[in-house]
Order: sequence, then structure tokens, then C-alpha cells
Amino acid sequence: MSARRVALAVGAPAALLLLLGLLWSWTASANPSVLPPLASLPAELAARPDFYVRNLGHTLVSALSGFGIGVGAALLLAIAVVHAPVLRSAVLPVALLLNVTPVVAIAPALVVAFGFTQVPNIVVAALTAFFPMLINALAGFRNVDRGSLEVFRSMAASRTDVFLRLRLPSSLRYLFAGARLSASAAMVGAIVSEFTGSTRGLGATIVTATTYLNLPQMWVAILVSALVSLALLGLIGLVERIVVRW
Amino acid sequence: MSEAVVLRGIGRTFAGRRPIAALDGIDLTVRAGEFVTLFGPSGSGKSTLLRIIAGLERADAGTVQVLGGPPREAARRKDIGWVPQNAALLPWARVRTNAGLSALVNRRADRSSHPQRVPQDVDGILAEVGLADFADARPGQLSGGMQQRAALARVFVQGAPLLLMDEPFSALDEITRSSVRLQLLDLWERHRKTVVFVTHSAEEAALLSDRVIVLSPRPGRITAEIEVPIPRPRADCAADSDAVRAVEREITAALRAGASG
Ligand SMILES: Nc1ncnc2c1ncn2[C@@H]1O[C@H](COP(=O)(O)OP(=O)(O)OP(=O)(O)O)[C@@H](O)[C@H]1O
Ligand SMILES: [Mg+2]
Repeated sequence: MSARRVALAVGAPAALLLLLGLLWSWTASANPSVLPPLASLPAELAARPDFYVRNLGHTLVSALSGFGIGVGAALLLAIAVVHAPVLRSAVLPVALLLNVTPVVAIAPALVVAFGFTQVPNIVVAALTAFFPMLINALAGFRNVDRGSLEVFRSMAASRTDVFLRLRLPSSLRYLFAGARLSASAAMVGAIVSEFTGSTRGLGATIVTATTYLNLPQMWVAILVSALVSLALLGLIGLVERIVVRW
Repeated sequence: MSEAVVLRGIGRTFAGRRPIAALDGIDLTVRAGEFVTLFGPSGSGKSTLLRIIAGLERADAGTVQVLGGPPREAARRKDIGWVPQNAALLPWARVRTNAGLSALVNRRADRSSHPQRVPQDVDGILAEVGLADFADARPGQLSGGMQQRAALARVFVQGAPLLLMDEPFSALDEITRSSVRLQLLDLWERHRKTVVFVTHSAEEAALLSDRVIVLSPRPGRITAEIEVPIPRPRADCAADSDAVRAVEREITAALRAGASG
């Protein structure tokens, strides 16, 4: 990268952040009941880092377990659908139904079923992670070059050959796009499910902060969850760059 | 076996609101080691016929014998080499892996003996097509002509006795096309496979083939068979030699006669 492009890549976001910071400070001083002073956030974090680490850890465990389960189930289902297209018409409506059911509505129902454990959080994260991956995997597995498929078929390649050597590599870009969406969705799902029926996690932290009008705590929790989601996306992007090299 | 492909009364009609008769009553025998070109107007069923021979498409009339049995059986032994219009290389795999693809899929075929198929050494064939220095490159780093050479390498490494090629060079510019064409001629004269080739270029048909089969507009029927008497090896024979020009004119005339008659 040229110096000019580095300056642009670093400078543009920095300028935007500066602008946001100014906007924040201005709003905070005009309406102290809406936003806390910017300086109160690092102070809040420094005062009890273990509190935030513990709650972030709880949310991350829910989000990542949910991500693993949701993405795994979506991949298995997509693989089944490619190999037995009749399943397609059965699977899609159900998946769609799951997707349009609001998570906030499911979460309390799951608390009734599983009690105040981490299970509802994981289930909600899995449900939200499931759909984006399913849609991308279905599209990806079908995105196969026709000529290549004919070359494989002309050699009577087995279904496993076709899947592992053609469909899977052809679909990697789709799968990574799906993984990105699913990761963000799992974080949102985990946090939203902690709004009800959880005393731990960033979601619960936000709710208690709201109850006690503790603005610094609320905003630290919100910013931490945003930054961690961003880090997850960065991690997935990194893996993609290592895996997809053509 | 001296007959590689035997087609008797082949017909194919595509169902639909207005059914399309693509092929009608095709009788064709391709001898082992022969280079036969299918030549005909667009829509005359050339691709359909080639796909029927490969077992990628079924015929709904007539019988197909490929290397002494049904096409799918030949495919199961990996005895059919398929060269599609686009090179169809796997973009994530290096050129060496692409050229050696046949050894990676349908491993079952390698376990039984295959008297007709003689797999070749990947690096040897890559050297023959002039890609030795690009064995570790990815397809995206190759020019169109080099990609098509890699696709040729893939079927010659496979060592299949029957090669089916559907307008393999049609996406290339004229200069690249004539060089890859010579490459094929050279490979073929050295390895002597049975080839069924489809092209829209009369010059290409004349230069490469032992025999040119001319098809009529839809539904495709055979209207002429032209033997090409040019002696081999032809790799050094200039494409604009009088002999090639004469055959080219004959093919074009047969195409016109078939289209009007
Ligand atoms: N899968 C299919 N479904 C319906 N119609 C088809 C199908 N495949 C081919 N056809 C029709 O059959 C006819 C012959 O097609 P084919 O591709 O074999 O012609 P072609 O001689 O290879 O033409 P071109 O020179 O343009 O490649 C065409 O009218 C085409 O529309
Ligand atoms: Mg065609």
C-alpha cells in the first residue's frame, strides 16, 4: 500500500471517530440525562474491569455456542438439501418462519421452558445465527460452474467428490459472508435474550443500568458489545483471507 | 475394438410447451483413433449429440454404444475425456492439481483394471503443452489460451481413449486460437485418441479432422460426411495451405447445401 492509501485507510475512520466524539460531547453537555460525559466511560471501565470481563465472558459463551450450533445446523441442512432437492420446499418455509419470529418474543418462552440458566441465551443465539448461514450456504452450494460440473460428471465422480472438491470450495465466499452475518446475529441474539431471564451478561448489565439510570454502565456495556462484535467480524475476515487465496 | 462410438437412429426432443426436436435419426460410427468433427449451424444439436455420447444427456430414440457399452459405463471407467467450452478449471487449485484432477475423483475406477485408459504423468503433459513453468500457478494467473491448454492437459493426463470437445477454442482470439489448435494437433498426433470435436470454424475442422460430419438446421440430421485427405502429421502444415482451403470450401458448401435442402 502506498503512503497515500495508508493515510486514507487510517485517516478517514479516525476523522469520523473524532466527529462522532465531538457530537457525543456536545449532546452530553446539552442533555446530561441522555448521554454521559465521554470521559466517564473509561473511568467506569477502569473502576471495575472484572465486572465487565465477567459479563462479556458470559455473553460471548452464549453467542459463540449459539453461533457454532446455528451455523453447524444450517450447514448440515444445506448439505442435505443439495443432495436431496425435494427437501428444499420443506425446509425453506420452516426456516423462513423461524426467521420472522421475533427473538424478543421467543426469549421469555424459553425462560419458562429452561429456567434462569444459560440455555435460553444459547438457543436464541443459535436461532438468530441459523438463518443467514442457511441462505448463504444454499446459494453457495448451488453456485457451481456448469462446465466444471460436467467435467466431474463425465468422470462419474461420486457425490462426495463433487461436494468436497467442487461445491464446497466454490461456495467458500458465500459461507464466509454467511458466517459474518451469523456472528453479528448471534451476538445480538445473545444480548437480547439476556434482557429477560438473565442476571448475567452484557444484556443484563444494560438492563440493570437502565433500571438505576446508570448511564456510564449502560454505555460501556453497549460499546463493549459493539467492539467485540467488530472483533469477531475481523477474526472471520482474517480466516477468510487465509483460506480463500485465489 | 475398432469402433469407439456407434450411434444408431439417435433422436432427442426436448419437452416443453413447444417441444424442440434437436436431433433426428443420427447414424454415426467413429472408428478408434479417428478425429471426427461435428459441423453445423447453431441449434443443430451438436452439443446435444456430444452430451449424449458422454452420457450427460439421454437420447429418447436410438441406441448409443461407447467403447463397447453404454456411455455411463464408459464414464464409470473414466474412459471419456470431456473438454467444455470454457476451460472449467478449478480456480482454487493449482495448475498441476487441475491437470491431475482425474486421479482425485472417482477413485473406484482406478482400482479395477482399465485396459483402454492409460493415465499420463502430470508434469510430462504440462511440459508438452508448454505449462511446465506454470504448474504451481492458479488458473486466474493464466491467459485464456494457457487455461485452455491446461484443460487439454487435464484430459490427456486422464489418458481416456475417447475425447469429447465442445467448441473448446471458441472463446479465444484468432491468434491464440490457432496456436492452441496446433497444440491439440500435436498432442493428438502423439497420443492418438479418438476425438469427437465440435466447432463453428470450417478452417479448424479441415485442419484437425479425419472426417467432418455436417448437420442440418434443427432438427439435426447428417447431411454430408467429408473425408479430409490431408496427410499427417499436419502440425507443420500451414493453415492457409491450398489443401486446407479446398477442404474448408467443401465443408462450407456442404453446410449451405444442407441448410437449403
Ligand atoms: N436442456 C435443454 N432443454 C431444452 N432445450 C434444449 C436443451 N438443450 C438444448 N436444447 C435445444 O436443442 C437445440 C439444439 O441445441 P444444441 O445446444 O445441441 O445446439 P448446438 O448445435 O450445439 O448449437 P450451438 O452451435 O449454438 O452451440 C436448440 O434449439 C436448443 O435450444
Ligand atoms: Mg453447442
